[in-house]
Amino acid sequence: MSTEIANQHWDIFCEVVDNYGDIGVTWRLAKQLVKEYQIDINLWVDDLKSFSHILPGLKPDQATQTFDHVTIHQWNVPLDINFVPGAVLIEAFACELPEQVKSQLIALQQSPDDTPPLWLNLEYLSAENWVEGCHGLPSMQASGIKKYFYFPGFTPKTGGLICENELLEQRTAWQSDPANKLALFSQLGLSGIDVQDKVISVFSYETLALSALCQQWQESSQKIHALIPKGRSLNSLTHLLPCSVEALTPGQQIVINNLTLHILPMTDQPSFDRLLWSCDFNIVRGEDSFLRAQWAAKPFIWHIYPQEDDYHLVKLEAFISLYCDNLAPEIAKYWTELNLAFNQEQQSAVNLHWQNLDSVNLPLLQHAQKWPIFALNDADLATRLVQFVKNS
Amino acid sequence: MKTAHEIRPGNVIMLNGSPWVVQKTETTRSGRNAAIVKMKLKNVLLDSTTETTFKGEDKMEDIILERLDCTYSYFADPMYVFMDAEYNQYDVESGNLGDAAAYITDGMEEICQVTFYEGKAISVELPTTIVREVTYTEPSARGDTSGKVMKPATIAGGATLSVADFIKTGEMIEIDPRTGEFKKRA
Repeated sequence: MSTEIANQHWDIFCEVVDNYGDIGVTWRLAKQLVKEYQIDINLWVDDLKSFSHILPGLKPDQATQTFDHVTIHQWNVPLDINFVPGAVLIEAFACELPEQVKSQLIALQQSPDDTPPLWLNLEYLSAENWVEGCHGLPSMQASGIKKYFYFPGFTPKTGGLICENELLEQRTAWQSDPANKLALFSQLGLSGIDVQDKVISVFSYETLALSALCQQWQESSQKIHALIPKGRSLNSLTHLLPCSVEALTPGQQIVINNLTLHILPMTDQPSFDRLLWSCDFNIVRGEDSFLRAQWAAKPFIWHIYPQEDDYHLVKLEAFISLYCDNLAPEIAKYWTELNLAFNQEQQSAVNLHWQNLDSVNLPLLQHAQKWPIFALNDADLATRLVQFVKNS
Repeated sequence: MKTAHEIRPGNVIMLNGSPWVVQKTETTRSGRNAAIVKMKLKNVLLDSTTETTFKGEDKMEDIILERLDCTYSYFADPMYVFMDAEYNQYDVESGNLGDAAAYITDGMEEICQVTFYEGKAISVELPTTIVREVTYTEPSARGDTSGKVMKPATIAGGATLSVADFIKTGEMIEIDPRTGEFKKRA
């Protein structure tokens, strides 16, 4: 392996753990750094098959390929593609860098004529207070190389949130014409949705709370369409399905009274954004779709990744505290209770709180529209990251 | 070798060729149950301090240095003076005690471990359990419950921590000084 420093490119290493979250974040970041900052990016991914679900043109059996000017490398263990250090090296979500890469960093550190890349660990997003105290701190390695912990977050003392430069303007333009959403639904093969119907996107983990909501939606006085991709959400709804989850096909509809379940085809990230913009309510999970639901400026439930000892509820409450800061107390209460009940699989409570929240839909929607500006704090993650690198 | 998650205040770790006294550790949880450990460290050789962050599973060299069982004698600003069984006295800088200083009280009888580097006392590890009097806490808000409801309290020595809601001012409680965690009523 070479230890030459070729140029000022950045490397991002991503280990795919649960299909779309980690790769979703790193892929968005890589594209944005190329497009808005003209930085050459190598994105190293250990599971191109999962990646191909959100990047349909990607060929899982091809070692190196380029999309949106990002060079995507298959990350095998041991690494079988020559790694050439650049200006910055990002290990996403604390993934362990390949031994060959680490040994190159040490060699560069020990060479009087060379400088190793700036080494960052891009961490998970959290609204907890401790993030401010850890963001940007060096992590001393035994080798003497400094690695910096970079924490995304909602406050000016954190690393910010991924949001592309023109995203919010594009969303506003899209939402100004109802024809856009109907065209999107048609393009996705979803039929029978009228402009006045309530449309809810569902991208959750398995939960009895979803089953309870579907029961309630069946009895709604208004037509409700739940758009659900094949995956973990549907595992909670098998009792409503005419066949196994595996046998469902995109575009398929299951009509139960006033509820229609639509099986969504997999989409790329821009289409997923537009889907969230087009729905009246979004149920999202993890980190990437959670943020995109916020940028959609629509009411949402966050199904947070479950952690040991229910620690995810601490993280959920930290976000709730920020999100509800400027929200009228009654609405904040309803929204909080709905999110907590959903995340604790409290079936009857989730139905009650859904009903309560439905009664304050308009002011909640107005809050959702103001929130992105507040959350971004004038600078998104890529902007702050580039600044952090310049200052380090 | 220990993981960052296992390192406690008072440990001495070797990083980048220097020994560092761990003054404070703060463990938090990142995504997918992964631990993040923030540490305040003091360089034994350079007398400088730094804050640093590790993944919980990061491995680091925990240096085995000479240690002596001692008891606390008195405070002679800025030094805490400890004494061994042969009545030898050892001065430890207050800065090296980190958060542990808040658990040091006059007359305390617990056996502490004083750590030496090149003959100099550089840090102190308190026992895993100490007993202290609660000097102030608000009255219970919910009556005498044995549940997990916690409230803030100040203990002799000045440390503040969360205690069970049923604890009253003047009571003796058991604490883990490494984490500042309330264990039970003594």
